[in-house]
Amino acid sequence: MNQQEAVKTLTISYEVQIEITQFLYREAHLLDSRNYRGWLDLLAEDIVYQMPARITTEGKHDIPNIDYKSRYFEETKQSLITRVKRLDSTSSAWAEISGPRQRHFISNILIEKGVMNDEGNEEYFVRSNFLFKRNRGSALTSEELFGCREDVIRKENGEWRLASRIIYPDQTVLGTINLSMFL
Amino acid sequence: MERHSGITKETLLNLKEKLKDGVLPQWVLADRDMYDLEIKQVFGKTWQFLAHESELKEPGSYVTRWIANDPILLTKTKSGEIKAFLNSCTHRGTLLCTADSGKQKSFTCPFHGWTYNNEGGLVGIAVGNKVYGEEMNKEDWNLRPVPNVDSYQGMIFGNLDPNAESLSDYLGNMKWYLDMMLGRSDGGMEVQGSPQRYVVEANWKVTAENFESDPYHVQFTHKSSKELGIAPNDPFFPGHGHQVVLDNGHGINLVQFDDTGVSPIPYQGMPESMWPMFQKNLNEAQNDMVKDTFFVGGVYPNLGFLQFSLPLLDSEPGLYNFLNFRVWRPLAPDKVEVWSWHLIDKDAPEEYKEKSYVTFLGTFGPSGLLEQDDAEIWSRVTQASNGIMAQNKDLSYNSFLNYLMGMDRVQPNEDFPGPGVAYPLCFLDTLSRSMHKKWIDLLLAESPVKEEVR
Repeated sequence: MNQQEAVKTLTISYEVQIEITQFLYREAHLLDSRNYRGWLDLLAEDIVYQMPARITTEGKHDIPNIDYKSRYFEETKQSLITRVKRLDSTSSAWAEISGPRQRHFISNILIEKGVMNDEGNEEYFVRSNFLFKRNRGSALTSEELFGCREDVIRKENGEWRLASRIIYPDQTVLGTINLSMFL
Repeated sequence: MERHSGITKETLLNLKEKLKDGVLPQWVLADRDMYDLEIKQVFGKTWQFLAHESELKEPGSYVTRWIANDPILLTKTKSGEIKAFLNSCTHRGTLLCTADSGKQKSFTCPFHGWTYNNEGGLVGIAVGNKVYGEEMNKEDWNLRPVPNVDSYQGMIFGNLDPNAESLSDYLGNMKWYLDMMLGRSDGGMEVQGSPQRYVVEANWKVTAENFESDPYHVQFTHKSSKELGIAPNDPFFPGHGHQVVLDNGHGINLVQFDDTGVSPIPYQGMPESMWPMFQKNLNEAQNDMVKDTFFVGGVYPNLGFLQFSLPLLDSEPGLYNFLNFRVWRPLAPDKVEVWSWHLIDKDAPEEYKEKSYVTFLGTFGPSGLLEQDDAEIWSRVTQASNGIMAQNKDLSYNSFLNYLMGMDRVQPNEDFPGPGVAYPLCFLDTLSRSMHKKWIDLLLAESPVKEEVR
């Protein structure tokens, strides 16, 4: 660690751990309860929201297997607002009419690192696992997606905001008929 | 009566008669025997899209694909030739290569260690001479090649039928339109990354037909995108333009944004600096089409394409062009795996390519605002097609679906400058009827029997 990094690196207090964990659970609750407007409020204005594709590669067990060129999401705050607007203010978003029941199971929250960014805001690099389950109509089988997320969670004016999320699915062939949810 | 796995020739001839009346019995969307017959007669006999050449950049590159249930290993050899093999070890049948893509000189089976080079040659047998001796000829045990492999405009196809007509003949007058879509730039097109893959509970005929020959659905299935201003908010969009029926069940819709015939964004919104190159590479009629229309259609049976221009979801002004190719890989009567590729001109500026890709993600593919609703509706057709009434083959419940739009009512445009039979409207079932006619002809086709030498 060089001197500059040492100055910027933050210790991860118990308080921060609890707050960030609660932030992620709160976020999952807003999504599950379909309070998408409330969810948008948790996102930083400059959010990076990506989902690259998982592929199967040849090699040993630990060979990298994400194809960053191939993606499912590449969003900005404004594009996420458009996605929510489709659900909230049009009458024909058939994929979500009526909304399937969905749960985000978030676990394995691991705060890797905290830094003070150039604007003087605290930013924490946070890993978590997700299991998304969805049930539609009278379906006897439920769809699922799972994987991990790499987030940057930032404190802006005393409020926690999601500044970046990269979603890594574990399925190379997605197990849902669409991605009309947020992960 | 001769039986094809539970379906008689008479059943098929009756279907053909129904199609002539502009209706398709609903049972064919969910029947297991029909599905099994299709796998043999449609997927085993037609040219199947495997990859775009830009997915196999260097010698040694490979991708693995599927033709329905047949695993395919597609390689680029040292000399740059494209080869396709059954991805199965010739010793005991193990799936040889499990990766989706990569680059390597040889493939070793994990079962007993047989090794093949990327030309399909068996180059290594573990303790070979000791157990098989010199008398076993290795060449007899090379990887089994796909009988026919060929490419057109960078699109690589394979055909499992040793007696298949050439790719060129099969594509027929579709080639003229593929030239237009894929050949407008000097450097051709390139794919962006690995294909997106997802599974929908739907019959492959429903997805293929809906995407390729049914612009009529857009006005309602995709109403939310119209309301948001992502697609033109005209109740008749995308009805304006021409539906062109081509050889062998292929076809294309040349969609206009409105009834003026002049696109508000010339050349599909591609950078103006590229227009002279398009003009140079296209003939006059192709040039006019690229300048003023957008394309959606398919190569029969299960390759769909869309070359359209749509906005980014983040409200930034401007429309970005992309070319999407997709394969509907049948997995079961009620299950299809969608493989979806984004393509854009290799010569386009890098910044434009990325915007084109992000526009594609926002509108098509499983996360796309338009396609999300398509998948929902495809699966709803399945949900309603399995019962006694829908599955009734005697049609005593009137269980047939309506393909009457435009039938005997809309006449071809005799002055249309391109090949094929072009109707001056895209809200038509003419292309769907042509696809289903090809389907029934393939199901009825007898394998050519070579006469014995006596």
